[in-house]
Amino acid sequence: MAKVTREMVERAGVDVEKLVELLVKNAAAELTTYYYYTILRVNLIGLQGESLKEIAEVARIEDRNHFEALIPRIYELGGRLPDDMKVFHDMSACPPARLPKDPTDVNAILKVLVEAERCAVRGYTQICNMTAGKDHRTYDLALAILNEEIEHESWFSEFLGEGPSGHFMRRGESSPFVSKFLR
Amino acid sequence: MRALTISELKQYDGRGGRPAYVAYRGKVYDVSQSFLWKGGTHQALHDAGRDLTAEINDAPHGDEFITRFPVVGELIEGPNES
Ligand SMILES: [Fe+2]
Ligand SMILES: [Fe+2]
Repeated sequence: MAKVTREMVERAGVDVEKLVELLVKNAAAELTTYYYYTILRVNLIGLQGESLKEIAEVARIEDRNHFEALIPRIYELGGRLPDDMKVFHDMSACPPARLPKDPTDVNAILKVLVEAERCAVRGYTQICNMTAGKDHRTYDLALAILNEEIEHESWFSEFLGEGPSGHFMRRGESSPFVSKFLR
Repeated sequence: MRALTISELKQYDGRGGRPAYVAYRGKVYDVSQSFLWKGGTHQALHDAGRDLTAEINDAPHGDEFITRFPVVGELIEGPNES
């Protein structure tokens, strides 16, 4: 634990216990999403599915990066991961992104993907709101992750045809916003 | 429809296997089946067994995240509540 780091955040008026719990819950969401997206990705086959596979893979890898990026901050603030991974799974900030009953229904897979990203967008917005102007490092991290989650949501939403597309898929390295926390 | 006071609502806190109820705008919703209300807390910030009408203003979502759950009663004022 980084003692003064935690003290600064407490003194700024943040409930550090709650913030840490929220960070752990979101770390659980990232790692479980990484797992469930693996299953979604392998089921994205056929003419429709293959066109989505690349984007699902980028979102999957970036979610794993989000997990990695969150961990140091959790421990700096005096938090820890649960010893039992089953507990970790069940405390996720987002529901499991399970494969739909009909795994050939690409549209249903897309809806699972977009809902998972929307949950993440809400979660990091909440963390940004809680830490803005108070816990600069957590805010910086949550904002970096939020930037990527918003892009993930947009990709899948545009594939669903919810509106005109303002995005291309990721160019260059993955996690352009979060990479500074991964070095 | 069943009528619950704030103190009766408190018993449905989702802990120890008890059902998780939350009140919103005078109605009581059963959120026990929700993954996001496991153990009677939601996103580490909100507790079941309470009236969440004011708290929803701080949430990063609208009230559809409450109103989509089954209504199990209405919230009424108890004898010592005003
Ligand atoms: Fe993520
Ligand atoms: Fe994501």
